[in-house]
Amino acid sequence: MSLDAIPIHVINAPPIESGLTGNAPPLLRELAEQVKRLLATGESSAIDLSALPLTPADLDWLRDKLGSGEIAITLQANGESTLNETACPGVWWVTHHNEQGVVASQFIEVAFVPELVKAHPQDVAIGLEKLEFMNSDL
Amino acid sequence: MQGPLIDTLARQGVTRRTFLKYCATLASMMALPPSAGLAMAEAMAAARRPSVIWLPFQECTGCTESITRSHSPTLEGMIFDMISLDYQETLMAAAGHQAEEARHAAMKENAGKYLLIVDGSIPLGVDGAYSCIGGRSNVDILKEAAAGCAAIVAMGSCASFGGIPKANPNPTGAVSVSDIIKDKPIVNIPGCPPIPVVMTGVLAHYLTFGSLPELDDKGRPKAFFGETIHDRCYRRPFYDQGKFAKTFDDEGARSGWCLFELGCKGPVTHNACATVKWNGGTSWPVESGHGCLGCSEPDFWDAGGFYKALSVPADPLKIAAFAAVVGAGAGVAVSFANRAKKNAAKKAHQPITLDDLEK
Repeated sequence: MSLDAIPIHVINAPPIESGLTGNAPPLLRELAEQVKRLLATGESSAIDLSALPLTPADLDWLRDKLGSGEIAITLQANGESTLNETACPGVWWVTHHNEQGVVASQFIEVAFVPELVKAHPQDVAIGLEKLEFMNSDL
Repeated sequence: MQGPLIDTLARQGVTRRTFLKYCATLASMMALPPSAGLAMAEAMAAARRPSVIWLPFQECTGCTESITRSHSPTLEGMIFDMISLDYQETLMAAAGHQAEEARHAAMKENAGKYLLIVDGSIPLGVDGAYSCIGGRSNVDILKEAAAGCAAIVAMGSCASFGGIPKANPNPTGAVSVSDIIKDKPIVNIPGCPPIPVVMTGVLAHYLTFGSLPELDDKGRPKAFFGETIHDRCYRRPFYDQGKFAKTFDDEGARSGWCLFELGCKGPVTHNACATVKWNGGTSWPVESGHGCLGCSEPDFWDAGGFYKALSVPADPLKIAAFAAVVGAGAGVAVSFANRAKKNAAKKAHQPITLDDLEK
């Protein structure tokens, strides 16, 4: 159940501040470094957004700057996760929600393909077994 | 029973991606670098279930409830199932001599390797006779189990600091685990009850890196207890603006202002409630409109009243007793009584400076 289901009416809602802390712009420079590293060595990396002092306004600013790209992936695993490519290929905005729909963690991942999207060899092997089982029935 | 964790999870319908996602979030909560999530997932997926012996002493089983009764089957709960829990009085089917035998067998089989979880304080009064299991005192059982363990996790405020059994006047002579065991690594996970994910975090760290996470001066994992409730409280801006709720139903309370004046112990309490929250991230005490009780700090029960603001005298019991004595002597000048009260108040006063709050 989300909090919205509880009928609390806030009489004096706190004023919404613009809330930009100036902590977001340096992240763009860090991202540039990480993309350079990805191109040079193939090493992927990530920025943990929930560990940084970023306000919702900062996050909006960052999201706005990075834009959205061609791919948007939705993963249903213990709550929804979205892995969206930004306008900069190789830079992915990853948001994990829990089963209640609350954001559990948020990352910007720099990789050709986000780690979570790749199928693990062991799982592929299990899939192969399934296929072979199906074929044996034909 | 034995086997890599990922296989056991798969049998429970937990996919690898679910697990990866969980580890990424866990690593984020533990302030580990993002890459640690993957390392954690790989190490934990392959890990064999470690043997865990859980000893309950003077406790209310609230800590067990906190971890095992999350409202939906969470990964916390499942990973908790995935350790080889060889002795847990509340959860195990065995009873009596069979149960005690299971503990001894596990201790022998995994000597030097098992993890010991303790919840509840240990009474030392009357040679420990206040709390016995199978005719043996808690302190006796603890010493025996601690001798062969790799590390101890003190679950909850009672095991960590003595908790409510130790509250004034401590009739059973209750003490914490670290008061008795000195030669083993001990992690304190205080809280009444503690947050489930802290327990999982410590287990995950232990399975991934083979060591315990970094601890603060009170033996608590820094990742979860490094900051105060106040530091991470979403009502903090109101504190900074001097906007306080004065009663539980005034304008300020309705507007969601700071609960400092209603006795919130957030400024001196180190815990992760403000960030991790409770009940699957639904809410936490301050969000529900009640100040923090400070349950993860030593002796929170005796800290002077849950509804007394922090800068008032910390021990009103003492003042009341003193004032009663003064009152008994009839004819004593009122001014003298007042001065005595004032002095008593001064003595009991534990000032909180601005520096304390800003830490």
